Amino acid sequence: MSDGSKRDERAFLKGLSGDVDAWLRGDTSRRTFLTRLAQLMGGAALTGPIVGMSSAGRASAAGAVKVELAPPDTPLGKAQVAAVEASTKGPTDGSAYRAVQAAKKLKGATLNVTYESGLQALEPKNYSGPQWQELTGIPQNVIELPHPDQYSKPIAEHIANSGAYDILDIEPAWIPSLANGGVIQPIDEFVSKYMNTADLDDYHPLYKYLPTYKGKRWGVFDDGDQLCLYYRKDVIGDPKLQQAYKAKYGQALRVPQSWDEYSQVAQFITDQLAPKVYGTANFRKAGSPGNQFAFVQEFRANGGAFFDPQTMKAQLNSPAGLKTFEQMTAQNKASVPGNNDLDAVAQWVAWLQGKVAMIYSWPPTGRMSENYSQRSKAINFVPKSEIVGKVGYAPMPGGHGEMASGYVKSLVAGSKNAEAAYLFMQWVTSPPVSLVRVMLPYTLRDPYRLSHYKSPLYRSLWPAAVEYLVTLNNSSNEAVLDMIMPGWQDYALSVDRMCTAVWAGQDAKAALQRAAGEWDAVTQKLGVEKQRDAYQQFMKLPGAYPDHTIATMGLGVKLT
Amino acid sequence: MNQQRAAEAPAGAGVSGRSRGKSGRRGVVSAWVDQHFGVLLVLPAVILIVLLSAYPLVYSLWVDFVNYDFQIPGHAFVGLQNFKDAILDPVAGTALVNTVVLSSAMVALELVLGLLLAVAMVRPFRGRGIVMPIFIMPLFMSPAIVGQFWGLLLQRPFGPTDYVLSQVLGHPVTISWLTEAPWNYLAVVLADAWQWTPFMFVILLAGLTSISHELYEAGQLDGASPWHTFFKITLPLVAPILLLAVAFRLLDAVKLFDIIYIMTGGGPGTDTYTAAFYLYERGFQEFHLSQATAGSWIFLILTIPVITVLVRRLLRPEAA
Repeated sequence: MSDGSKRDERAFLKGLSGDVDAWLRGDTSRRTFLTRLAQLMGGAALTGPIVGMSSAGRASAAGAVKVELAPPDTPLGKAQVAAVEASTKGPTDGSAYRAVQAAKKLKGATLNVTYESGLQALEPKNYSGPQWQELTGIPQNVIELPHPDQYSKPIAEHIANSGAYDILDIEPAWIPSLANGGVIQPIDEFVSKYMNTADLDDYHPLYKYLPTYKGKRWGVFDDGDQLCLYYRKDVIGDPKLQQAYKAKYGQALRVPQSWDEYSQVAQFITDQLAPKVYGTANFRKAGSPGNQFAFVQEFRANGGAFFDPQTMKAQLNSPAGLKTFEQMTAQNKASVPGNNDLDAVAQWVAWLQGKVAMIYSWPPTGRMSENYSQRSKAINFVPKSEIVGKVGYAPMPGGHGEMASGYVKSLVAGSKNAEAAYLFMQWVTSPPVSLVRVMLPYTLRDPYRLSHYKSPLYRSLWPAAVEYLVTLNNSSNEAVLDMIMPGWQDYALSVDRMCTAVWAGQDAKAALQRAAGEWDAVTQKLGVEKQRDAYQQFMKLPGAYPDHTIATMGLGVKLT
Repeated sequence: MNQQRAAEAPAGAGVSGRSRGKSGRRGVVSAWVDQHFGVLLVLPAVILIVLLSAYPLVYSLWVDFVNYDFQIPGHAFVGLQNFKDAILDPVAGTALVNTVVLSSAMVALELVLGLLLAVAMVRPFRGRGIVMPIFIMPLFMSPAIVGQFWGLLLQRPFGPTDYVLSQVLGHPVTISWLTEAPWNYLAVVLADAWQWTPFMFVILLAGLTSISHELYEAGQLDGASPWHTFFKITLPLVAPILLLAVAFRLLDAVKLFDIIYIMTGGGPGTDTYTAAFYLYERGFQEFHLSQATAGSWIFLILTIPVITVLVRRLLRPEAA
């Protein structure tokens, strides 16, 4: 608001205040009072848009923040220069270049984009948001949401028909529910119009298929959340421990190949080294997603199936379910004290402090272990790594690690800026730009393109980075997926309740039985026929079960 | 003005007649405004309340009897099915029992502590002006922050509580405050009491200060012991305001959500699910909106008798 209009408003309010006082004293008529009130309301109606206009101006100005760039002689700086060149100079058939050129014609739009609050949201605030604005003139509002709200808020906004968002960052497992509910829209037309489809083949095959549902593409994949095993080479390779293990079990102490071996090795290390070092630490806190990912991963490694494909009766209460709980309980026993209270960050803290010999977690573990992430102030909530150079990477015990969550950028149905929004999605996930984003120290975006795994720049970030990237790729070849079908949210919450009840001492069989009952109730509620169809579709996805992975389908990628 | 009436108008009436007509209408409107001035002033507020409260309430009644589920298309009429789903859901039963137990325990603890604090602080002493704001401070904190704060204090293995207790007791303490019964209940009650005891304290302090000193002097003259004075003078006179504080707190405590969401996530299993947490999960995580709405109505109906009893008891001394 200008100084002049502020002055006018002050004078008007003073006058009105005088009128109110006069009316209360009985010195003026009600009509005068009401007239004045109406004038004020009219004035407010007029000044509102003016204030709004000036606020919008401020928002635009605030949106024009500077891109945070690394020194150009660092690997990250070089990647950032290459991303700008690919966006401005080409190759002209590249997805980044095409997106920028097309988006320049749509200047005037503002994109509302959801991100998980915290570190995930820092990336569009510091890098991709301002960089996109600099290249195209299109600003964006970054809307930070806690992880569960990334599912629930878009639904609430959809029901309210608010048009609050243009782009959603969602789990692939939510796609069926959000697509069926009309929250998101397919992007096939935009892809064929703008994308260099060779870039689709640059995705690791696991991720290439993930955003597809009912034969349509519902977004662009954007975060390779592959669980891997991280272990202490100095502990596993310790000659004294090797000798003692051989003496006790008659086998070599090695990186565990199965879940039973994992528990055994973890317990052995705890018995030998605790309280200095424990065998493992698990992400078991109630309400955080560690339990659901861990259970569905091991359950399938043990031969479990989620449903009977004909009747759709839940198959949790089975020998595979009981075996899974035996193994998970054994892991808990071999873990750091307070294991059942740990969330992902607390698990990382124990690991980085050198308190733990093995953990399985998301890919930032590898970067944090080498202190690459901690060079950013934003990630100072985890301690400096005390295990630099001591960490090895391996596929999960049992061979089939969970692709736990991940992110897909999806276009909101009815977005008023659909084309500009799609173009941003294409640009930000294009090979050169996404490489920068998975290399940012504070980022929680993890490699997912073949060009990420092969990137000489990424491979030069720390001495063992090549081994790290190759392990991520190999694990993705063998990965199993979250259950990508309607109702996943219900099924997953039920698994979390089941697991935490068992950790608190409930009988595993009773907990499995109760969870199976809850699953059946969900299936009944959503419709057995519909769920059967959805399950059939899920089973066709590479990674649905260990006998149907990218590798078993002959699509595995070999990297050195 | 029509032709006939124009003809009837006296010659020369022209402008002044129109003027009289206008002023006459103005007079009628003015009189109507004067007559309904009070109504006009409250009308905007009434419209707001109808739009923001009454309409959603009526709408929620409709939602109770149809399918309103994000994952199931359409809004087909389902009769009492949503109520049946809510009643037969075993998690709902657990949540209801937890709500009763936790809210009763919280309010009882807060009442006792608040009363003790108020009695201790009612007489002026040096430093009271400093101590009092410190006691009251938790009241101004967001429950989510309180949950986070207590969660960090009690979390194993990094929270300091077990360490401090180990040092004090001289032997290792390994309590999982957030994941093991009964400690998780205790943790939730403690966190809530830490925040809301000041509320009881402030209200009860106001009640205590309003009791006339003459009554205490009379008691002293009659040789009443401090216990007698407390039970025969203080407690009966502070009882109405005490009931008011309990009613307010109970109304709030049965909605317990934030602390549960942050500290225990409802777990382990469904051990710390409260009604509000259950309804949130069904409504806004799973989007079974009809079932959640039916559950909310059931919860409301169950709450009404408790509150009615409290309010009646509260009003009884007034009536007397």
